Amino acid sequence: MLTVTNVHKAFGDNKILQGVDLAINKGDVVVILGPSGSGKTTLLRCLNFLEQADQGTATFSDLQVDLAKATRKEIYAVRQKTAFVFQNYNLFANKTALDNVTEGLITGRKWAKEAARQKAREALAKVGLNGKEDLYPSQLSGGQQQRVGIARALVLEPDIILFDEPTSALDPELVGEVLEVMKTIAQEGTTMLVVTHEMSFAKEVANHVIFMDGGRVVEQGDADAIFLRPKEERTKQFLRRVLPQEYNYQI
Amino acid sequence: MDIAFFKQALGIAFSGVPLTLLVTVVTLIIALPVGFFLTLVRMKRIPVIHQLIGIYLSFIRGTPVIIQIFVLYNSIPLLIAGVAKGKFDVYAIHPIWYAFVIFSFGMAAIVAEIVRGALQTVDKGQLEAAYSVGLTVPQAYRRIILPQMLTAALPNLCTATVNLVKATSLGYAIALPEITLRTKVAANAGYHYVEAYTAIFIVYLLICLLIEYAFHKTEQRVRRYQGGIAC
Ligand SMILES: Nc1ncnc2c1ncn2[C@@H]1O[C@H](COP(=O)(O)OP(=O)(O)OP(=O)(O)O)[C@@H](O)[C@H]1O
Ligand SMILES: [Mg+2]
Repeated sequence: MLTVTNVHKAFGDNKILQGVDLAINKGDVVVILGPSGSGKTTLLRCLNFLEQADQGTATFSDLQVDLAKATRKEIYAVRQKTAFVFQNYNLFANKTALDNVTEGLITGRKWAKEAARQKAREALAKVGLNGKEDLYPSQLSGGQQQRVGIARALVLEPDIILFDEPTSALDPELVGEVLEVMKTIAQEGTTMLVVTHEMSFAKEVANHVIFMDGGRVVEQGDADAIFLRPKEERTKQFLRRVLPQEYNYQI
Repeated sequence: MDIAFFKQALGIAFSGVPLTLLVTVVTLIIALPVGFFLTLVRMKRIPVIHQLIGIYLSFIRGTPVIIQIFVLYNSIPLLIAGVAKGKFDVYAIHPIWYAFVIFSFGMAAIVAEIVRGALQTVDKGQLEAAYSVGLTVPQAYRRIILPQMLTAALPNLCTATVNLVKATSLGYAIALPEITLRTKVAANAGYHYVEAYTAIFIVYLLICLLIEYAFHKTEQRVRRYQGGIAC
Protein backbone atom coordinates (compact mmCIF):
# COMPACT_ATOMS: atom_id res chain seq x y z
CA MET A 1 0.00 0.00 0.00
CA LEU A 2 2.74 2.46 0.99
CA THR A 3 6.39 1.77 0.33
CA VAL A 4 9.02 4.30 1.28
CA THR A 5 12.62 3.93 0.26
CA ASN A 6 15.84 5.64 1.21
CA VAL A 7 14.56 8.93 2.61
CA HIS A 8 17.25 11.47 3.38
CA LYS A 9 16.72 14.90 4.88
CA ALA A 10 19.14 17.41 6.35
CA PHE A 11 18.54 20.83 7.81
CA GLY A 12 21.76 22.59 6.87
CA ASP A 13 24.58 20.34 8.07
CA ASN A 14 22.28 18.57 10.47
CA LYS A 15 21.43 15.18 8.93
CA ILE A 16 18.07 14.24 10.37
CA LEU A 17 17.00 11.33 8.12
CA GLN A 18 19.71 9.05 6.77
CA GLY A 19 18.08 6.48 4.55
CA VAL A 20 14.73 5.41 5.98
CA ASP A 21 12.79 2.51 4.42
CA LEU A 22 9.25 1.49 5.28
CA ALA A 23 6.56 -0.81 3.96
CA ILE A 24 2.96 -0.59 5.09
CA ASN A 25 0.12 -2.84 4.00
CA LYS A 26 -3.51 -1.89 3.75
CA GLY A 27 -5.14 -2.01 7.18
CA ASP A 28 -1.82 -1.96 9.03
CA VAL A 29 -1.32 0.09 12.16
CA VAL A 30 2.36 0.92 12.23
CA VAL A 31 3.82 2.66 15.26
CA ILE A 32 7.11 4.54 15.11
CA LEU A 33 9.03 4.80 18.37
CA GLY A 34 12.24 6.63 19.01
CA PRO A 35 13.97 9.15 21.21
CA SER A 36 13.42 12.87 20.81
CA GLY A 37 15.22 14.27 17.79
CA SER A 38 15.45 10.93 15.99
CA GLY A 39 13.56 12.32 12.99
CA LYS A 40 10.10 10.81 13.46
CA THR A 41 8.20 14.03 12.86
CA THR A 42 10.45 14.94 9.95
CA LEU A 43 9.75 11.58 8.29
CA LEU A 44 5.96 12.05 8.48
CA ARG A 45 6.26 15.62 7.24
CA CYS A 46 8.34 14.52 4.26
CA LEU A 47 5.68 11.94 3.36
CA ASN A 48 3.05 14.68 3.25
CA PHE A 49 5.38 17.23 1.60
CA LEU A 50 5.17 19.60 4.54
CA GLU A 51 8.93 19.25 4.31
CA GLN A 52 10.87 18.51 1.14
CA ALA A 53 13.16 15.49 1.45
CA ASP A 54 16.63 15.60 -0.10
CA GLN A 55 16.25 12.11 -1.50
CA GLY A 56 13.83 9.19 -1.40
CA THR A 57 10.75 7.76 -3.07
CA ALA A 58 7.28 6.92 -1.84
CA THR A 59 4.81 4.64 -3.57
CA PHE A 60 1.17 5.06 -2.60
CA SER A 61 -0.67 2.10 -4.18
CA ASP A 62 -0.34 3.01 -7.87
CA LEU A 63 1.30 6.40 -7.45
CA GLN A 64 5.07 6.61 -7.24
CA VAL A 65 6.66 9.96 -6.38
CA ASP A 66 10.15 11.27 -5.86
CA LEU A 67 10.06 12.90 -2.44
CA ALA A 68 12.88 15.26 -3.39
CA LYS A 69 11.47 16.61 -6.64
CA ALA A 70 7.78 15.91 -6.96
CA THR A 71 5.77 18.23 -9.18
CA ARG A 72 3.03 20.35 -7.71
CA LYS A 73 0.48 18.01 -9.27
CA GLU A 74 2.07 14.97 -7.65
CA ILE A 75 2.14 16.73 -4.30
CA TYR A 76 -1.61 17.44 -4.51
CA ALA A 77 -2.22 13.85 -5.59
CA VAL A 78 -0.30 12.50 -2.57
CA ARG A 79 -2.17 14.83 -0.24
CA GLN A 80 -5.45 13.52 -1.62
CA LYS A 81 -4.38 10.01 -0.60
CA THR A 82 -3.08 10.91 2.85
CA ALA A 83 -4.26 12.82 5.89
CA PHE A 84 -2.33 14.22 8.82
CA VAL A 85 -3.16 14.47 12.51
CA PHE A 86 -0.96 17.04 14.20
CA GLN A 87 0.59 17.07 17.64
CA ASN A 88 -1.01 20.42 18.47
CA TYR A 89 -4.23 19.70 16.53
CA ASN A 90 -3.95 22.67 14.14
CA LEU A 91 -7.69 22.94 13.79
CA PHE A 92 -8.73 25.85 11.60
CA ALA A 93 -9.27 28.50 14.25
CA ASN A 94 -11.79 30.44 12.19
CA LYS A 95 -14.05 27.47 11.54
CA THR A 96 -16.49 25.49 13.64
CA ALA A 97 -15.91 21.80 14.35
CA LEU A 98 -18.23 20.88 11.50
CA ASP A 99 -16.61 23.31 9.05
CA ASN A 100 -13.18 22.00 10.00
CA VAL A 101 -14.29 18.58 8.89
CA THR A 102 -16.10 19.67 5.72
CA GLU A 103 -13.30 21.98 4.50
CA GLY A 104 -11.26 19.27 2.80
CA LEU A 105 -14.36 17.81 1.16
CA ILE A 106 -15.95 21.03 -0.06
CA THR A 107 -12.93 23.15 -0.99
CA GLY A 108 -10.41 20.42 -1.65
CA ARG A 109 -12.59 17.81 -3.32
CA LYS A 110 -15.49 19.88 -4.62
CA TRP A 111 -18.18 17.95 -2.80
CA ALA A 112 -21.68 19.41 -2.65
CA LYS A 113 -22.21 21.25 0.67
CA GLU A 114 -25.07 19.17 2.01
CA ALA A 115 -23.44 15.83 1.22
CA ALA A 116 -20.22 17.02 2.86
CA ARG A 117 -22.06 18.18 5.97
CA GLN A 118 -23.86 14.87 6.25
CA LYS A 119 -20.62 12.95 6.02
CA ALA A 120 -18.86 15.31 8.44
CA ARG A 121 -21.63 14.85 11.01
CA GLU A 122 -21.16 11.10 10.78
CA ALA A 123 -17.40 11.50 11.25
CA LEU A 124 -17.90 13.74 14.28
CA ALA A 125 -20.37 11.25 15.74
CA LYS A 126 -17.83 8.48 15.28
CA VAL A 127 -15.28 10.38 17.39
CA GLY A 128 -17.94 11.05 20.02
CA LEU A 129 -18.64 14.69 19.30
CA ASN A 130 -22.33 14.84 18.46
CA GLY A 131 -23.75 18.14 19.57
CA LYS A 132 -20.37 19.93 19.30
CA GLU A 133 -20.68 20.65 15.55
CA ASP A 134 -21.15 24.38 15.91
CA LEU A 135 -18.44 25.07 18.47
CA TYR A 136 -15.19 26.78 17.53
CA PRO A 137 -11.83 25.20 18.45
CA SER A 138 -11.36 27.83 21.17
CA GLN A 139 -14.50 26.44 22.83
CA LEU A 140 -13.31 22.81 22.85
CA SER A 141 -10.99 20.95 25.22
CA GLY A 142 -7.70 19.62 23.90
CA GLY A 143 -9.05 16.08 23.72
CA GLN A 144 -12.12 17.28 21.83
CA GLN A 145 -9.98 19.33 19.46
CA GLN A 146 -7.80 16.36 18.67
CA ARG A 147 -10.87 14.22 18.05
CA VAL A 148 -12.07 16.84 15.57
CA GLY A 149 -8.60 16.59 14.05
CA ILE A 150 -9.08 12.86 13.64
CA ALA A 151 -12.56 13.33 12.17
CA ARG A 152 -11.13 15.88 9.73
CA ALA A 153 -8.62 13.27 8.54
CA LEU A 154 -11.04 10.35 8.60
CA VAL A 155 -13.74 12.05 6.55
CA LEU A 156 -11.41 12.21 3.56
CA GLU A 157 -11.19 8.41 3.51
CA PRO A 158 -7.47 8.58 2.78
CA ASP A 159 -5.37 5.52 1.98
CA ILE A 160 -3.38 6.26 5.11
CA ILE A 161 -3.56 8.62 8.08
CA LEU A 162 -0.30 9.97 9.50
CA PHE A 163 -0.40 10.71 13.24
CA ASP A 164 2.38 12.78 14.81
CA GLU A 165 2.26 12.32 18.58
CA PRO A 166 -1.48 12.94 18.68
CA THR A 167 -1.73 12.78 22.47
CA SER A 168 1.49 14.33 23.68
CA ALA A 169 0.11 17.87 23.93
CA LEU A 170 -2.86 16.69 26.00
CA ASP A 171 -3.46 16.79 29.73
CA PRO A 172 -3.04 13.23 31.03
CA GLU A 173 -6.73 12.80 31.78
CA LEU A 174 -7.63 13.58 28.15
CA VAL A 175 -5.23 11.11 26.54
CA GLY A 176 -7.54 8.13 27.00
CA GLU A 177 -10.45 9.50 24.96
CA VAL A 178 -8.19 10.17 21.97
CA LEU A 179 -6.47 6.78 22.13
CA GLU A 180 -9.88 5.15 22.37
CA VAL A 181 -10.97 6.81 19.12
CA MET A 182 -7.73 5.80 17.42
CA LYS A 183 -8.23 2.23 18.54
CA THR A 184 -11.76 2.18 17.16
CA ILE A 185 -10.77 3.42 13.73
CA ALA A 186 -7.79 1.05 13.70
CA GLN A 187 -10.13 -1.87 14.31
CA GLU A 188 -12.30 -0.68 11.44
CA GLY A 189 -9.37 -1.18 9.10
CA THR A 190 -7.97 2.33 8.75
CA THR A 191 -4.33 2.23 7.66
CA MET A 192 -2.35 4.28 10.16
CA LEU A 193 1.24 5.38 10.63
CA VAL A 194 1.52 6.61 14.20
CA VAL A 195 4.39 8.35 15.97
CA THR A 196 3.66 8.04 19.66
CA HIS A 197 5.17 7.62 23.10
CA GLU A 198 2.07 5.75 24.29
CA MET A 199 3.50 2.28 24.75
CA SER A 200 0.14 0.79 25.72
CA PHE A 201 -1.29 1.86 22.37
CA ALA A 202 1.71 0.42 20.55
CA LYS A 203 1.35 -2.90 22.37
CA GLU A 204 -2.39 -3.27 22.02
CA VAL A 205 -3.09 -1.83 18.62
CA ALA A 206 0.01 -1.85 16.44
CA ASN A 207 0.69 -4.84 14.25
CA HIS A 208 4.09 -3.47 13.35
CA VAL A 209 6.50 -1.40 15.42
CA ILE A 210 9.45 0.56 14.08
CA PHE A 211 12.21 1.85 16.33
CA MET A 212 14.08 4.84 14.93
CA ASP A 213 17.22 6.47 16.20
CA GLY A 214 19.63 8.91 14.62
CA GLY A 215 17.60 9.18 11.43
CA ARG A 216 17.62 5.45 10.73
CA VAL A 217 15.33 2.51 11.35
CA VAL A 218 17.23 0.55 13.98
CA GLU A 219 14.85 -2.33 14.45
CA GLN A 220 11.35 -3.34 13.45
CA GLY A 221 8.92 -6.17 13.87
CA ASP A 222 5.57 -7.01 15.42
CA ALA A 223 4.84 -5.50 18.81
CA ASP A 224 5.80 -8.63 20.76
CA ALA A 225 9.11 -8.97 18.97
CA ILE A 226 10.07 -5.39 19.75
CA PHE A 227 8.76 -5.18 23.30
CA LEU A 228 9.59 -8.69 24.52
CA ARG A 229 12.59 -9.69 22.44
CA PRO A 230 14.42 -6.56 21.23
CA LYS A 231 17.72 -7.43 19.59
CA GLU A 232 19.50 -4.10 19.32
CA GLU A 233 21.14 -2.52 22.33
CA ARG A 234 19.76 0.91 21.46
CA THR A 235 16.21 -0.46 21.38
CA LYS A 236 16.69 -2.10 24.76
CA GLN A 237 18.02 1.11 26.28
CA PHE A 238 15.12 3.11 24.90
CA LEU A 239 12.51 0.63 26.12
CA ARG A 240 14.07 0.49 29.58
CA ARG A 241 13.59 4.24 29.81
CA VAL A 242 10.04 4.46 28.51
CA LEU A 243 8.33 1.30 29.64
CA PRO A 244 6.62 1.23 33.01
CA GLN A 245 8.50 -0.78 35.65
CA GLU A 246 6.19 -3.78 35.53
CA TYR A 247 7.31 -4.66 32.02
CA ASN A 248 10.99 -4.30 32.69
CA TYR A 249 11.56 -7.87 33.83
CA GLN A 250 10.57 -9.03 30.38
CA ILE A 251 13.52 -7.34 28.73
CA MET B 1 -19.20 83.97 14.72
CA ASP B 2 -21.33 84.44 11.68
CA ILE B 3 -23.98 81.77 12.14
CA ALA B 4 -25.46 82.27 8.69
CA PHE B 5 -22.10 81.76 7.04
CA PHE B 6 -21.31 78.83 9.35
CA LYS B 7 -24.46 77.07 8.13
CA GLN B 8 -23.53 77.82 4.57
CA ALA B 9 -19.98 76.58 5.15
CA LEU B 10 -21.30 73.38 6.67
CA GLY B 11 -23.33 72.80 3.51
CA ILE B 12 -20.30 73.45 1.33
CA ALA B 13 -18.12 71.19 3.44
CA PHE B 14 -20.69 68.40 3.13
CA SER B 15 -20.75 68.88 -0.63
CA GLY B 16 -17.11 67.79 -0.62
CA VAL B 17 -17.84 64.54 1.19
CA PRO B 18 -18.59 62.41 -1.89
CA LEU B 19 -15.25 63.29 -3.47
CA THR B 20 -13.35 62.66 -0.24
CA LEU B 21 -15.07 59.29 0.15
CA LEU B 22 -14.51 58.44 -3.51
CA VAL B 23 -10.78 59.06 -3.18
CA THR B 24 -10.71 57.04 0.06
CA VAL B 25 -12.62 54.09 -1.38
CA VAL B 26 -10.73 53.93 -4.67
CA THR B 27 -7.45 54.17 -2.76
CA LEU B 28 -8.47 51.27 -0.53
CA ILE B 29 -9.60 49.19 -3.50
CA ILE B 30 -6.19 49.64 -5.10
CA ALA B 31 -4.00 49.60 -1.97
CA LEU B 32 -5.43 46.54 -0.21
CA PRO B 33 -4.59 43.96 -2.88
CA VAL B 34 -1.38 45.74 -3.90
CA GLY B 35 -0.18 45.94 -0.29
CA PHE B 36 -1.04 42.28 0.31
CA PHE B 37 0.77 41.25 -2.84
CA LEU B 38 3.82 43.36 -1.89
CA THR B 39 4.06 41.50 1.40
CA LEU B 40 3.82 38.10 -0.26
CA VAL B 41 6.52 39.06 -2.78
CA ARG B 42 8.67 40.45 0.02
CA MET B 43 8.40 37.18 1.96
CA LYS B 44 9.95 35.35 -1.00
CA ARG B 45 13.09 37.47 -0.51
CA ILE B 46 13.96 37.71 -4.20
CA PRO B 47 17.19 39.72 -4.53
CA VAL B 48 16.86 43.28 -5.90
CA ILE B 49 13.05 43.20 -5.80
CA HIS B 50 13.22 42.71 -2.05
CA GLN B 51 15.50 45.74 -1.64
CA LEU B 52 13.43 47.88 -4.02
CA ILE B 53 10.29 47.21 -2.02
CA GLY B 54 12.25 47.97 1.16
CA ILE B 55 13.32 51.35 -0.19
CA TYR B 56 9.79 52.16 -1.26
CA LEU B 57 8.45 51.26 2.19
CA SER B 58 11.04 53.45 3.94
CA PHE B 59 10.27 56.34 1.58
CA ILE B 60 6.63 56.21 2.59
CA ARG B 61 7.33 55.67 6.27
CA GLY B 62 9.96 58.38 6.47
CA THR B 63 8.42 61.30 4.57
CA PRO B 64 5.47 63.62 5.24
CA VAL B 65 2.42 62.97 3.08
CA ILE B 66 2.55 66.48 1.69
CA ILE B 67 6.08 65.84 0.37
CA GLN B 68 4.94 62.57 -1.22
CA ILE B 69 2.18 64.52 -2.89
CA PHE B 70 4.54 67.18 -4.25
CA VAL B 71 7.09 64.67 -5.46
CA LEU B 72 4.54 62.51 -7.28
CA TYR B 73 2.41 65.41 -8.52
CA ASN B 74 5.45 66.93 -10.17
CA SER B 75 7.09 63.79 -11.48
CA ILE B 76 4.07 61.91 -12.85
CA PRO B 77 3.33 64.50 -15.59
CA LEU B 78 6.96 64.33 -16.69
CA LEU B 79 6.77 60.57 -16.88
CA ILE B 80 3.50 60.58 -18.81
CA ALA B 81 4.68 63.34 -21.14
CA GLY B 82 7.82 61.34 -21.83
CA VAL B 83 5.82 58.24 -22.71
CA ALA B 84 2.96 59.97 -24.57
CA LYS B 85 5.30 62.20 -26.60
CA GLY B 86 2.86 65.08 -26.96
CA LYS B 87 -0.10 62.94 -28.02
CA PHE B 88 -2.18 64.48 -25.26
CA ASP B 89 -2.03 67.36 -22.84
CA VAL B 90 -0.89 66.09 -19.45
CA TYR B 91 -2.05 69.29 -17.81
CA ALA B 92 -5.67 68.52 -18.76
CA ILE B 93 -5.74 65.48 -16.47
CA HIS B 94 -8.25 66.01 -13.65
CA PRO B 95 -6.57 66.14 -10.23
CA ILE B 96 -8.70 63.26 -9.00
CA TRP B 97 -6.61 60.87 -11.09
CA TYR B 98 -3.49 62.18 -9.41
CA ALA B 99 -5.19 61.76 -6.06
CA PHE B 100 -5.95 58.09 -6.79
CA VAL B 101 -2.37 57.39 -7.75
CA ILE B 102 -0.71 59.41 -4.99
CA PHE B 103 -2.83 58.18 -2.10
CA SER B 104 -2.73 54.56 -3.34
CA PHE B 105 1.03 54.83 -3.53
CA GLY B 106 1.24 55.77 0.12
CA MET B 107 -1.56 53.53 1.36
CA ALA B 108 -0.20 50.37 -0.31
CA ALA B 109 2.96 50.70 1.78
CA ILE B 110 0.96 51.11 4.97
CA VAL B 111 -1.21 48.12 4.08
CA ALA B 112 1.92 46.08 3.38
CA GLU B 113 3.23 46.79 6.88
CA ILE B 114 -0.12 45.94 8.44
CA VAL B 115 -0.42 42.71 6.46
CA ARG B 116 3.08 41.66 7.43
CA GLY B 117 2.32 42.10 11.10
CA ALA B 118 -1.04 40.36 10.78
CA LEU B 119 0.39 37.37 8.90
CA GLN B 120 2.82 36.79 11.76
CA THR B 121 -0.10 36.37 14.15
CA VAL B 122 -1.40 33.34 12.22
CA ASP B 123 0.21 30.07 13.28
CA LYS B 124 2.20 28.26 10.59
CA GLY B 125 0.33 25.07 11.51
CA GLN B 126 -2.87 26.57 10.04
CA LEU B 127 -1.32 26.61 6.59
CA GLU B 128 0.08 23.10 6.99
CA ALA B 129 -3.28 21.77 8.11
CA ALA B 130 -4.90 23.37 5.08
CA TYR B 131 -2.39 21.71 2.76
CA SER B 132 -2.83 18.38 4.52
CA VAL B 133 -6.57 18.28 3.76
CA GLY B 134 -5.78 18.90 0.10
CA LEU B 135 -6.19 22.66 -0.30
CA THR B 136 -4.09 24.46 -2.89
CA VAL B 137 -1.99 27.47 -1.88
CA PRO B 138 -4.54 30.08 -3.04
CA GLN B 139 -7.38 28.11 -1.43
CA ALA B 140 -5.48 27.87 1.85
CA TYR B 141 -4.86 31.62 1.90
CA ARG B 142 -8.39 32.54 0.93
CA ARG B 143 -10.22 30.15 3.24
CA ILE B 144 -7.95 29.91 6.28
CA ILE B 145 -5.17 32.49 6.45
CA LEU B 146 -6.89 35.66 5.20
CA PRO B 147 -9.91 35.44 7.52
CA GLN B 148 -7.66 34.93 10.55
CA MET B 149 -5.29 37.65 9.46
CA LEU B 150 -8.16 40.05 9.10
CA THR B 151 -8.98 39.99 12.80
CA ALA B 152 -5.43 41.05 13.61
CA ALA B 153 -5.33 43.62 10.81
CA LEU B 154 -8.68 45.37 11.33
CA PRO B 155 -7.74 47.73 14.20
CA ASN B 156 -4.67 48.92 12.27
CA LEU B 157 -6.62 49.14 9.02
CA CYS B 158 -9.17 51.29 10.83
CA THR B 159 -6.47 53.72 11.99
CA ALA B 160 -4.93 53.74 8.51
CA THR B 161 -8.29 54.47 6.85
CA VAL B 162 -9.03 57.32 9.23
CA ASN B 163 -5.57 58.72 8.56
CA LEU B 164 -6.23 58.40 4.85
CA VAL B 165 -9.45 60.41 5.10
CA LYS B 166 -7.60 63.10 6.98
CA ALA B 167 -4.73 63.01 4.48
CA THR B 168 -7.12 63.65 1.59
CA SER B 169 -7.53 67.17 3.02
CA LEU B 170 -4.04 67.76 1.62
CA GLY B 171 -5.68 67.35 -1.78
CA TYR B 172 -5.95 71.14 -1.85
CA ALA B 173 -2.26 71.12 -2.82
CA ILE B 174 -3.18 69.54 -6.16
CA ALA B 175 -6.42 71.53 -6.55
CA LEU B 176 -8.62 68.58 -5.65
CA PRO B 177 -12.04 70.08 -4.85
CA GLU B 178 -12.64 68.02 -1.69
CA ILE B 179 -14.03 69.15 1.66
CA THR B 180 -11.20 71.42 2.77
CA LEU B 181 -10.52 73.15 -0.51
CA ARG B 182 -14.18 73.93 -1.24
CA THR B 183 -14.85 75.36 2.18
CA LYS B 184 -11.68 77.41 2.25
CA VAL B 185 -12.45 78.95 -1.11
CA ALA B 186 -15.87 79.93 0.17
CA ALA B 187 -14.33 81.43 3.30
CA ASN B 188 -11.82 83.54 1.37
CA ALA B 189 -14.50 85.93 0.13
CA GLY B 190 -15.51 87.27 3.56
CA TYR B 191 -12.55 86.19 5.69
CA HIS B 192 -14.87 83.78 7.60
CA TYR B 193 -12.06 81.43 8.49
CA VAL B 194 -13.16 80.43 11.98
CA GLU B 195 -16.60 79.43 10.75
CA ALA B 196 -15.14 77.57 7.78
CA TYR B 197 -12.59 75.64 9.80
CA THR B 198 -15.17 74.74 12.43
CA ALA B 199 -17.42 73.38 9.68
CA ILE B 200 -14.54 71.38 8.18
CA PHE B 201 -13.65 70.09 11.64
CA ILE B 202 -17.18 68.84 12.25
CA VAL B 203 -17.47 67.11 8.89
CA TYR B 204 -14.18 65.21 9.24
CA LEU B 205 -15.03 64.25 12.78
CA LEU B 206 -18.36 62.80 11.64
CA ILE B 207 -16.79 60.83 8.79
CA CYS B 208 -14.08 59.40 11.00
CA LEU B 209 -16.50 58.45 13.75
CA LEU B 210 -18.65 56.62 11.20
CA ILE B 211 -15.64 54.77 9.82
CA GLU B 212 -14.53 53.72 13.29
CA TYR B 213 -18.02 52.51 14.04
CA ALA B 214 -18.16 50.48 10.83
CA PHE B 215 -14.79 48.88 11.55
CA HIS B 216 -15.79 48.11 15.10
CA LYS B 217 -18.93 46.33 13.90
CA THR B 218 -16.98 44.36 11.30
CA GLU B 219 -14.40 43.39 13.89
CA GLN B 220 -17.08 42.07 16.21
CA ARG B 221 -18.39 39.93 13.38
CA VAL B 222 -15.07 38.46 12.28
CA ARG B 223 -13.90 37.87 15.85
CA ARG B 224 -16.82 35.63 16.67
CA TYR B 225 -14.67 32.52 16.40
CA GLN B 226 -12.32 33.71 19.11
CA GLY B 227 -15.15 33.49 21.59
CA GLY B 228 -15.73 37.09 22.53
CA ILE B 229 -14.27 40.45 21.65
CA ALA B 230 -10.70 41.04 22.62
CA CYS B 231 -10.70 44.83 22.49
N1 LIG C 1 12.65 23.21 10.16
C1 LIG C 1 13.75 22.77 10.82
N2 LIG C 1 14.90 23.45 10.73
C2 LIG C 1 16.02 23.02 11.37
N3 LIG C 1 16.07 21.92 12.14
C3 LIG C 1 14.93 21.19 12.27
C4 LIG C 1 13.73 21.58 11.63
N4 LIG C 1 12.77 20.68 11.95
C5 LIG C 1 13.36 19.78 12.75
N5 LIG C 1 14.65 20.08 12.94
C6 LIG C 1 15.60 19.30 13.76
O1 LIG C 1 15.54 17.98 13.36
C7 LIG C 1 15.72 17.10 14.46
C8 LIG C 1 14.71 16.00 14.41
O2 LIG C 1 13.45 16.56 14.58
P1 LIG C 1 12.11 15.74 14.60
O3 LIG C 1 11.07 16.70 15.00
O4 LIG C 1 11.93 15.02 13.34
O5 LIG C 1 12.39 14.69 15.76
P2 LIG C 1 11.32 13.76 16.50
O6 LIG C 1 11.85 12.39 16.38
O7 LIG C 1 9.96 14.02 15.99
O8 LIG C 1 11.48 14.24 18.00
P3 LIG C 1 10.33 14.42 19.13
O9 LIG C 1 10.12 13.08 19.75
O10 LIG C 1 10.98 15.38 20.09
O11 LIG C 1 9.13 14.99 18.48
C9 LIG C 1 15.65 17.95 15.70
O12 LIG C 1 16.94 18.02 16.26
C10 LIG C 1 15.22 19.31 15.22
O13 LIG C 1 15.92 20.30 15.92
MG1 LIG D 1 8.22 14.89 16.80
